[in-house]
Amino acid sequence: MHPEKNNSSAFEPKIIAFVCTWCTYAGADLAGTSRMQYPSNVRVLKFPCTGRIDPVFILKAFQQGADGVLVSGCHPGDCHYIAGNFHARRRFAAFRKLLEFVGVDLQRLQFSWVSAAEGGKWVDVVTDLTETVRALGPMTEFKELALEEQWSGALTTPELKEAYLQI
Amino acid sequence: MNNTIDISHYAAIADSIRAEAARILEQGVVTAVVAYTTGRRAGSVQPVIITAAAEAERLTFTAASVNNLAVYLTKAKKDIPRSGRIGIVVKGCDLKALVGLMGESQLQRDQLYLIGIPCAGVLASTVRPAEALIAATLAPKCRECDAHLPEGCDYVPAVSLPSAPTLEPSYAAEIARLEALTPAERWAYWKEQFAKCIKCYACRQVCPFCFCEQCLCDRNKPQMVDTTPRPAGNTAWHIVRAMHLAGRCAGCAECERVCPMDIPLNLLNRKMAKELKELFDYEAGFAVHEKGPLNSFMEKDDQSFIK
Amino acid sequence: MSRIGVFVCHCGENISRTVDVERVAAHAATLPGVACATEYKYMCSDPGQTLLKKAISEQRLTHVVVAACSPRMHERTFRKAVEGAGLNPYLCEMANIREHCSWVHEDREEATAKACDIVGMMVERTKKNRVLPAITVPVTKRSLVIGGGIAGIQAALDIADAGHEVVLVEREPSIGGHMAQLSETFPTLDCSQCIMTPKMVDVANHPKITLYTYSEIELVEGYIGNFQVTVRKRARSVNERTCTGCGVCMTKCPQKKIPNKFDQNIGMRTAIYVPFPQAVPNTPVIDRENCTKFKTGKCGVCQKVCGPGAVDFEQQDTLIVEAVGAIVVATGFDLYSISEKPKGSPIKGYGEFGHGKIPDVIDGMTFERLASASGPTGGKIVRPSDGREPKQIVFIQCIGSRAREKGISYCSKVCCMYTAKHTMLYHHKVHDGQAYVFFMDARTPGKSYDEFWRRSIEEEEAVYIRGMVSRLYQKGDKIVVMGSDIAVGVQVEIEADMVVLATAVQPQQGADLLAQKLGISYDKYNFYSEAHAKLRPVECATAGIFLAGACQGPKDIPETVSQASAAAAKVMTLFSKDRLEREPIVARVREAGCVGCFACKKVCAYGAVEEKEIRDRQGNLLRVVASVNPGVCAGCGTCQATCPSKCVELDGYTDEQIVAMIEAL
Ligand SMILES: Cc1cc2nc3c(=O)[nH]c(=O)nc-3n(C[C@H](O)[C@H](O)[C@H](O)COP(=O)(O)OP(=O)(O)OC[C@H]3O[C@@H](n4cnc5c(N)ncnc54)[C@H](O)[C@@H]3O)c2cc1C
Ligand code: SF4
Ligand code: SF4
Ligand code: SF4
Ligand code: SF4
Repeated sequence: MHPEKNNSSAFEPKIIAFVCTWCTYAGADLAGTSRMQYPSNVRVLKFPCTGRIDPVFILKAFQQGADGVLVSGCHPGDCHYIAGNFHARRRFAAFRKLLEFVGVDLQRLQFSWVSAAEGGKWVDVVTDLTETVRALGPMTEFKELALEEQWSGALTTPELKEAYLQI
Repeated sequence: MNNTIDISHYAAIADSIRAEAARILEQGVVTAVVAYTTGRRAGSVQPVIITAAAEAERLTFTAASVNNLAVYLTKAKKDIPRSGRIGIVVKGCDLKALVGLMGESQLQRDQLYLIGIPCAGVLASTVRPAEALIAATLAPKCRECDAHLPEGCDYVPAVSLPSAPTLEPSYAAEIARLEALTPAERWAYWKEQFAKCIKCYACRQVCPFCFCEQCLCDRNKPQMVDTTPRPAGNTAWHIVRAMHLAGRCAGCAECERVCPMDIPLNLLNRKMAKELKELFDYEAGFAVHEKGPLNSFMEKDDQSFIK
Repeated sequence: MSRIGVFVCHCGENISRTVDVERVAAHAATLPGVACATEYKYMCSDPGQTLLKKAISEQRLTHVVVAACSPRMHERTFRKAVEGAGLNPYLCEMANIREHCSWVHEDREEATAKACDIVGMMVERTKKNRVLPAITVPVTKRSLVIGGGIAGIQAALDIADAGHEVVLVEREPSIGGHMAQLSETFPTLDCSQCIMTPKMVDVANHPKITLYTYSEIELVEGYIGNFQVTVRKRARSVNERTCTGCGVCMTKCPQKKIPNKFDQNIGMRTAIYVPFPQAVPNTPVIDRENCTKFKTGKCGVCQKVCGPGAVDFEQQDTLIVEAVGAIVVATGFDLYSISEKPKGSPIKGYGEFGHGKIPDVIDGMTFERLASASGPTGGKIVRPSDGREPKQIVFIQCIGSRAREKGISYCSKVCCMYTAKHTMLYHHKVHDGQAYVFFMDARTPGKSYDEFWRRSIEEEEAVYIRGMVSRLYQKGDKIVVMGSDIAVGVQVEIEADMVVLATAVQPQQGADLLAQKLGISYDKYNFYSEAHAKLRPVECATAGIFLAGACQGPKDIPETVSQASAAAAKVMTLFSKDRLEREPIVARVREAGCVGCFACKKVCAYGAVEEKEIRDRQGNLLRVVASVNPGVCAGCGTCQATCPSKCVELDGYTDEQIVAMIEAL
């Protein structure tokens, strides 16, 4: 299926999916019981509700080397916990703007509603994200940061320069 | 563009503050007053808490009265006696923080006696406190101030606010500049900025909204954010911080003022404020909201970003 | 140090066909903290579970990971097995390598690598799992039923017959609701009073039922199994204990011309009254707004004539607190009034069709009262304006209902059937009369319903015109009805003597206020929302509160009674144990760190977060912190994601567990 697989040097994106147990996890189960096929890059973390998903987890996932992150839960109105997904929707609407502003390519961060009946949609969402990220190449930004020890040492303000010269 | 800013009324304000502080302490309206007093460096002022009417003569107000005194009222900074009503001197931007703190059950309006300042602006953190207030030395937040006259205070000195020159907002311009860059260029910009951070946490200490007993970024079980002052942990800290203040920060810019490494922290805060305004039509600081934008929702909220 | 056992299942060949299970087990064995790792053909089978239990005791395992199918399939099975071997069930997790791996990937290499990752992730997570003791809350085995229509009556009787005490609260002076107003009922045409009043009497006489009529819910506190409900018993001005129900007071009251709401205001009553002769309780109430004594201070005739001296003008409202474990909400419906718009109603389109202006334009419920043998006309169908028998009568269906532009898009469900019933009742009573019905569709999906509807056309000679009425006006003593027959494509104009509007079924006024007191959710029309439209149609999302009847959506009597009995069964299930066991996946507050910002409280959809005062030994208030009621918390974790400093944490999904998984990748 994926001829490039045998080529060990080819880039295989690491995709982390944060999903709620009632809708998207069940949708992914349905994709399984229906024997649908999709790229094996995704690793699924189950939460009770999208309301439980903290933006810090997304940050952490990127820091741990994820090349793409998916957050998925119940469609609006279907939340098992009444309104968890509505709170999540606001939280992530704001968070993605923040990430975008600090320079994260939002193509790497996908949000979706996948219900327990949408095995096919799960396959599409995961496949699309995997292929998009594959085309983008590895997410190097956070990995590079982790390797860097100190600040670059650029003296950008007159005070700093002055202070530095006095040492 | 060396247009001077008229702050001739500050002397009268200082007189009024002294008189009012003496009165309310004298009459037992309040048990303490949080205000400004003259500092050691030439022209500088510093925060002070007085508890006796006799001390009121030490109080002042000048263009160097930059501090947001609201921070002295939050629980985590337990500098203030908890009993009784407390008087506090507030500029418009400071009042916004107080209003936010009321919405978050940290303060009660009836526990406060607000002395509002008709403020024409204060000095930027990058200039010496003795300098004259002109457009170039004005704090960037004052360029786009929309609350020169704090509303709903218990006492406002009877002075008229001189007309002020209209100035180009600098944060908005900088946000627009960054937004126009590619993600890679923005990343490079912030990487450089965040890399400078030495994790002194002065920004957190001075922020009225960082009133958490234990900051998420100090936790080690699990370690959500790397605590060492290295680029990875710094970036995480700044992202978490901006996210936690989103919808709460109203722009007193104290974090930016105290940062020894000159990291443009308020830029992130303003960006988030702008987004929340656009997304949810929410502006922090103008009224006590029962719920903030990130702990409420509407069914029709935008979801165009969700597949 | 943890000693984790990893058990990799072949699932016959379902997993092992694409995943190299031996390699997965071998990989698991190398992970730190793993004490043993094996694979087996069917882990869920008896021998599989035995293998698991044996390993737990022999290897002294502290945690278990079963790599097999979806946890949605067998998590319970394995947690039970683990519990059987003496471990806390929440120390066992499943790694889903079937639905999420072997079934969706063909490449053996890839699938095996992914399975290893999934197992690794779950091993790291499981290390951080803590013992979670089951949560139990005591259950007060008494129930509150709100609303005494047929729904509330049925639910109350069922619960009381099962031996549990019931408190039934009704807003009106008598129970009975709308069904007591009906004449005869579709699809069998039995007399409503005849089947209803015996049940009302049963309620009054049941030793397990406490009935509060003329009462309302003031305050609801507590949670499932442990509610405290304050009932406001309005002053009746008649002592229920001493009144014998002789009714002599009513015969002497000088105020005789007060429109009786029970008779849709076409019949009159006195100021001291029972709404209808069969009322339960049969104790009159003084309508203080219309009573001469209350208005002018003079009169008091009723008090003078009352033998037992039951009339008490000084009576005050009383507040009664009842402790109950479950609540059934059965507050029923109201009819869309096109003469006046209820305050705050978002629904548009009031005022057309002359209802409230043209006296002989009435609604369906008024027709019921006219047709009722015990109604104000003794069952004679006559015009309210002049008492003449209408010879041409027009029924118009879907008034308000299914009219999106007017603000109601739903179907009121009962109008097609009761209109058919009305044409029959009319034909039985006015042999030479002619009935016309304007309708959009006939919706008759019920047992014997379509047959009933056809009978009205085929045997009772009603003329059904498919189309809507565009205009209606008074001309002399006739009402001209102009409409179109879309089946034939012609305009029709009928000079009618009387027009009956099948107005939409709406929730009771103030339904939203009651919902707010109860903490249950409601839709945009104020109908109460069930927890799940298909699978939990009688439960509210708020634990311990159940729904019955038309308050949840338009319903006819058979459906209402079914739902009421279902709600009663749910209550009895809850009452079958002394303590209620709940899954311990609930949030907990770390009080030491909590600063009392109550962001958590703001986002909790269940009202599970409370404010807790922390005081020193002298009783001085130190701080106010959040506190989660484990009896109410549903375990969504929204609070934790919202708390900046994570001082509220969801057991079973702690940050430690989640971060451990992310870090394992
Ligand atoms: C014109 C008409 C004809 C009908 N004919 C038929 C028929 O022939 N056959 C059939 O099967 N169905 C018929 N129906 C439907 C039938 O009336 C309903 O299915 C049934 O009455 C619903 O019962 P309920 O108990 O849910 O509501 P209701 O009968 O409305 O009872 C609700 C009760 O709750 C009380 N209440 C409301 N709010 C509060 C509160 N806040 N606190 C305390 N108490 C409160 C009310 O006073 C009332 O007593 C007809 C409906 C209409 C409109
Ligand atoms: S004040 Fe500046 S250097 Fe200190 S922690 Fe904050 S951003 Fe970093
Ligand atoms: S950064 Fe967040 S967790 Fe830390 S103190 Fe500020 S608000 Fe609290
Ligand atoms: S959100 Fe956190 S700090 Fe705020 S009240 Fe809740 S638990 Fe306490
Ligand atoms: S986990 Fe969900 S239900 Fe429980 S207290 Fe938190 S927000 Fe409320």
